[in-house]
Order: sequence, then C-alpha cells, then structure tokens
Amino acid sequence: MSDESAVLREPWLDFDRQREAAKFGIWVFLGSEALFFGALLMTYTVCRVEHPEAFAAAGRETNIWYGTINTAVLLTSSLSMAMASQAAESGMRFRRLVLGCLLATVLLGLAFIVIKGFEYKEDIDKHLVPGAGFALPQAGAQLFYGLYWLVTGVHAVHLSIGMVLVSRLFWMFYQRKLRISENPELEVTALYWHLVDIVWIFLYPLIYLPGRAS
Amino acid sequence: MNENRPTAGRLWRKNIAIWGALLALLLLSLSLAYVPMGRLTTAAGIVIAATKSALVLLLFMELATSKSLIRLAAISGLVFVAAMFALTLSDVLTR
Repeated sequence: MSDESAVLREPWLDFDRQREAAKFGIWVFLGSEALFFGALLMTYTVCRVEHPEAFAAAGRETNIWYGTINTAVLLTSSLSMAMASQAAESGMRFRRLVLGCLLATVLLGLAFIVIKGFEYKEDIDKHLVPGAGFALPQAGAQLFYGLYWLVTGVHAVHLSIGMVLVSRLFWMFYQRKLRISENPELEVTALYWHLVDIVWIFLYPLIYLPGRAS
Repeated sequence: MNENRPTAGRLWRKNIAIWGALLALLLLSLSLAYVPMGRLTTAAGIVIAATKSALVLLLFMELATSKSLIRLAAISGLVFVAAMFALTLSDVLTR
C-alpha cells in the first residue's frame, strides 16, 4: 500500500489509526444528529398525544404513494452506498463497482428530491401549508403540517448535503485524485448517508401511515 | 473483512438480501397501516421502523463487526435519545 501517504493526514502517523478516528468522529456526530432529529420527533409525539384525531385526519391527507416510493428509493440508495463502501474496504480491484455505486447513490438521492418536489407541489395545491386558508378544520392538523414541512425540509437539506459529498467523492475517484481502497472519507460519507436514510425510515410511519385504518 | 477478500458477487448477494428484507418490511408496514388495531397500528409502524433501522445500523453501517469504541459511540446517541423520550413521556403521558 504505497499510496497510503496520499490519504494520511495530520496529526496521524498511522493509517489505521486515522481510519478509526474518522469512524469514531462521525459516530459522535451521528449521535448529535440523532438528538437533533430525536427532539423534532419528540415534539411530534407530544403534539400527537394531545391531538390524536387531528393527527389521524392530517396523516390521511398525505400522499402515501409518494411517501412509500420515496422510502423504497432511499432504501435502495443505502444499498448502493453500502456496496460502494464495502467494495472500497475490500481492496483495489473494485474501482468500477465503487464508481458505479456512488453514481447510483447520487442519482437515487436526486430521484428522492424530485419526487418530494412533486409531493410538495401537491401539498401546496391542497392547501396543506399551515396558516390562513388551511384545508383541514382541526387545529391539531396545522401542528402536524407545521412539523411535516419542518422535518421533511430539514431531512431534504441533509440529503442534499449527502449528495454533494458523494458527488465530490465520485469526481475525485474518477479523476484519480483520491485513493479508493480503504478511503476513510468514503467510509464516513457512507455512514452519514445511512443515517439520513434511518431518519426517513422513522418519518415514514409517523407522516404517511397515521389514520389509514380509521 | 480483509482476511477473506470477498468477491463482487458475494458483496452483492449479501447486501441485496438485506435490501430485500428492508423492502419487505416497508410493504408489511404499509399493509399493516390499513388494519384497524387501535393503538397497535401505530406501534406496529414504529416497531417495523426500529427493525429496519437495526438492519441498516448493524449491517449497512457495519456496527455488527465494528470495534467496541465505535459501538459505544453509536449506542451513546441512542441512550440520550431514549433518556429524552423517557423523561418527557413520563410527564406527558401521566397528566
């Protein structure tokens, strides 16, 4: 591994230690992200406990098809991201596989954002933005949609940041400016991407599934 | 992973199996949402989400094979989220 020096950064003297520190660092960051989204979901939970009927009525108004398809899209992007990361971890032979999977991840992320855009358009047309002229009579429904716009918006920002990071890695690898094999930047980016997926995994039942059975 | 270098085929088979399980859970979650079971309907959605997250955390994010320092960092995030929910709900649900 003669090109280890190319990815070795200050202050580490040893590549394995750098990889471990990078992983540890991103997990601490992901812990803070879990608290950030956890606080938003906590707010949702308290509001829902206080307005169960309004949340059911509001949840019924969301478009379950956009939500379900987007969940599948994100789960698939986690598959390609995991493939890219694991292939890079297991050696130099998988250059094309890694590049292909990174590209697929960015395109799936883009697909998610586009589908979400159509969904937002429909929500606006159905007057589901809290404020004057809101579609539903219950006061609690406005709380649901206030949180809906906030949480999905913040999630989309996270996903967009992930897309920028993955695109950058794709370009650097494609230009051969970065070593692919065991690259800590790829491992860290992959972990971040999966966390954004996990946030959506929890948003799916909370946003799209309430009130379907009643 | 370095000991027995996996082939591309083995990586695909393993990860596609996980992905298949995730999609199956998504469809299960979708269909259970239409079954009237009262509070259990909501609980089912959250339990399935937790199961899907566990698959992603353990297998895609490789916590299952990570060193204990990494696992500890990951668990600490969950512990603080659990503390926040436990303390808040112990108030809200008992009013």
